[in-house]
Amino acid sequence: MSTAVESKTREGGFSLKEWIFTTDHKRIGILYLIGSYAAFAVAGIMAMLMRTELSSIGPTITENPNTYNVWLYFHGAAMILGYQIPALTGFFANYYVPLMIGAKDVAFPRLNALSVWLFWMGIVLALLTFVVPDPPDIMWTGYPPYSVITQGNTALYTFTVLLIGFSSIAGGVNFLTTIIYMRAPGMTWGKLNMFIWCILTAFIIQIIFVPVLGTAVTMISFDKYLGTTFFNASMGGTAVLYENLFWFYSHPAVYVILLPAMGIIYEIVATFARNNIFNYRGILYGGIWGVVALGGIVWAHHLYVAGIPDWMSLIHVFLTLLISVPVGLLMIGIVGTLYKGAIEYRTPMLYAVGFVFLFLIGGLTGIPNAMSSIYIHITETYWIPGHFHYVMALSVTFAIIGGTYYIFPKMTGRMYHEGLGKLGFILLFVGANITFFLTMVLGVRGMPRRYYDYPQFPEFEGIQQLITYGSYVILAGSVVILASWVYGLVRGEKAVANPWGSRSLEWTHTPSPPPPGNFKEVPQLSEDWSPYGYGNGKREEEKGEDLEPARP
Amino acid sequence: MANHTAEHELKWHTSYWPLIMSVGILFFVPLAFVFYFVYENAFLTAISLGIGAPLTLISIAGWIREGFEDIHGYNQGLSVWAMPVFIVAEALLFAGFFASYWVLRLTAPVWPPLGTPHEMPFLVPIMMTIILVTSSVTIHMAETMLEKRKDMNWFVIWLFITIILGVVFLGLSVYEWIELYHEGFTLSTNVYSSSFFSITGFHASHVLVGIGIFLCILVPALGGRANLAFVKSASMYWHFVDIVWLFVVSQLYFWK
Repeated sequence: MSTAVESKTREGGFSLKEWIFTTDHKRIGILYLIGSYAAFAVAGIMAMLMRTELSSIGPTITENPNTYNVWLYFHGAAMILGYQIPALTGFFANYYVPLMIGAKDVAFPRLNALSVWLFWMGIVLALLTFVVPDPPDIMWTGYPPYSVITQGNTALYTFTVLLIGFSSIAGGVNFLTTIIYMRAPGMTWGKLNMFIWCILTAFIIQIIFVPVLGTAVTMISFDKYLGTTFFNASMGGTAVLYENLFWFYSHPAVYVILLPAMGIIYEIVATFARNNIFNYRGILYGGIWGVVALGGIVWAHHLYVAGIPDWMSLIHVFLTLLISVPVGLLMIGIVGTLYKGAIEYRTPMLYAVGFVFLFLIGGLTGIPNAMSSIYIHITETYWIPGHFHYVMALSVTFAIIGGTYYIFPKMTGRMYHEGLGKLGFILLFVGANITFFLTMVLGVRGMPRRYYDYPQFPEFEGIQQLITYGSYVILAGSVVILASWVYGLVRGEKAVANPWGSRSLEWTHTPSPPPPGNFKEVPQLSEDWSPYGYGNGKREEEKGEDLEPARP
Repeated sequence: MANHTAEHELKWHTSYWPLIMSVGILFFVPLAFVFYFVYENAFLTAISLGIGAPLTLISIAGWIREGFEDIHGYNQGLSVWAMPVFIVAEALLFAGFFASYWVLRLTAPVWPPLGTPHEMPFLVPIMMTIILVTSSVTIHMAETMLEKRKDMNWFVIWLFITIILGVVFLGLSVYEWIELYHEGFTLSTNVYSSSFFSITGFHASHVLVGIGIFLCILVPALGGRANLAFVKSASMYWHFVDIVWLFVVSQLYFWK
């Protein structure tokens, strides 16, 4: 077993059968990538439609407010369930985890394939929104009593959540087993990549909290179609129960998204700053496990005005403020890794730095939200979408796109277009800040959220228009980013095994793109090996020997 | 092992069954539900079930066959470690329903709410408990026969007894639901009935899945093949279903 293994791998040719029936983690990862970016595109178009509608007072492109509600539903549901969670716990987990821990594949390859296809079926179900006569109009939260009495199709929402949720649970079972039992010899717990720790904890959160969301959305469909009375106040039920169950999952879901995003940023920062991770153990035990410990007990800060008892609000104010400590540790880790590093601003690194900026704004604007006395005044205004778009949408999207740039050479065996990549970053960064900073400004001045039209606030029309222009800049940036990838796929120069000079296993031990089975032989790691062994900021010019590529 | 490994890394692994199963599931559950309950269209419901059920069943059969042939060749036995993780998720699923039930019950002004029969059944749940606990013992016996004594005959016999006990349990469940329905205690009577039927229904569906898993073990076992790790995981799942039942019976039937 040596070179013969490599040379016999399929040369060039594309086989549809080997893609749609694949059980290989790298190909499944790419299927996740396609599905999640497709969801991102459609949900992004919904956002553009909403922004265009809001650019002027009165009906702009639709006369029917319910159409706006459907856009709002699809934008939220597809962005979170169809794009962010599958991109991070699907694509990145699949592509990185076996490569980083030195495994041939995940523990259950067929179950992995089932996960990705259940996710695709969830996307199909979500897209039925545009086909059925009664599309769901219940936002991505599906609060009763509206979701129970609406004419819209609540069942589609329920089953979209259930299919993608089941896919997540199957993925969680698979990856927890893989990470615990399939690490290469010498890959001890203290030497794992930051990303592995982040994805491990993200899946622990998924396993614990997704089922509770499953029960919540099942109960609204039971209420609507089978006549149960869980949330029907006239029959002794209570709608606040749903809000508790929903946010009991959906707040930890923020950490399911944030932790892998942070993990990607750690990988990028360590590689491009040529530096060891700053305070590895502190971040691991204080930051990552701290988020896991606190993440499940802060959900009620979404419910301050929903009619929960005061003592409950008080506890959750305290706990929510407390969780800024582990998250702060995670941020300090990134900045500390940059400190005295030999920083090289390639496109992925620009996204990492952008992440730090955007997440800082998102995090700091979250602190006033945590205090119930302030929250009462800013809830239901544009401040809230501004805040959560910074903290979830923007920073995490920067991590996802930056991570895609970072892994692009390994995945495709070619380099993306560096100039277009940097241009795309600038457009996206500028557009995102115009859009969402002004959204927060408008919120402080009193613009209520979720409004389809605002004839009572003519003074806001100017800023609304600016926000819409900002969103068009984001669209332009997205097109440029896509162009840099398409150019890379078609005309890009061949990538060597380790174009970044990283020390991590997926770059040093396998060619780009990796062959079936990943490694020629099981990697044996020595005592002093570390994925971040850079000798603290000294740039070494060697880029690592070029391993034999899998495809000629 | 080394040679074997080198041999099968030459090509990309494929399997038909995951994709077929996910399409089957899409038609079998979500689409059939939407057509039946939302659009009330019996014809489209029948078509959905007609597409979904065969695809799901075929893919389960194909998957199991492939599992025995095991063209992937590595990582056997890890399912014993994966099942506890899955059980945690399942436990949280029940926890969501139980938490709702407790909240609704403890905040209710009067309990039991209007419409509940004076006497909740007593004898049948006791019988059901005895049957399910017994079945936990019998599946443990089956596992022991396979693992310690390598005795396929007794393994099949104990497994068969377990399946029979599971079916009897389900039969009693259905009998019970029909009885309560006749007393006017239905899904939409009050919050108690909603919780009652949702939780017992969810538990019964887990028993049904458990029986399905056992059939997936029984059929190859009749041909003399058994995968110990799979049997152990199935047995673990069954013990979990048994433990959940103790919560169901104590919280829903016997808590006055």
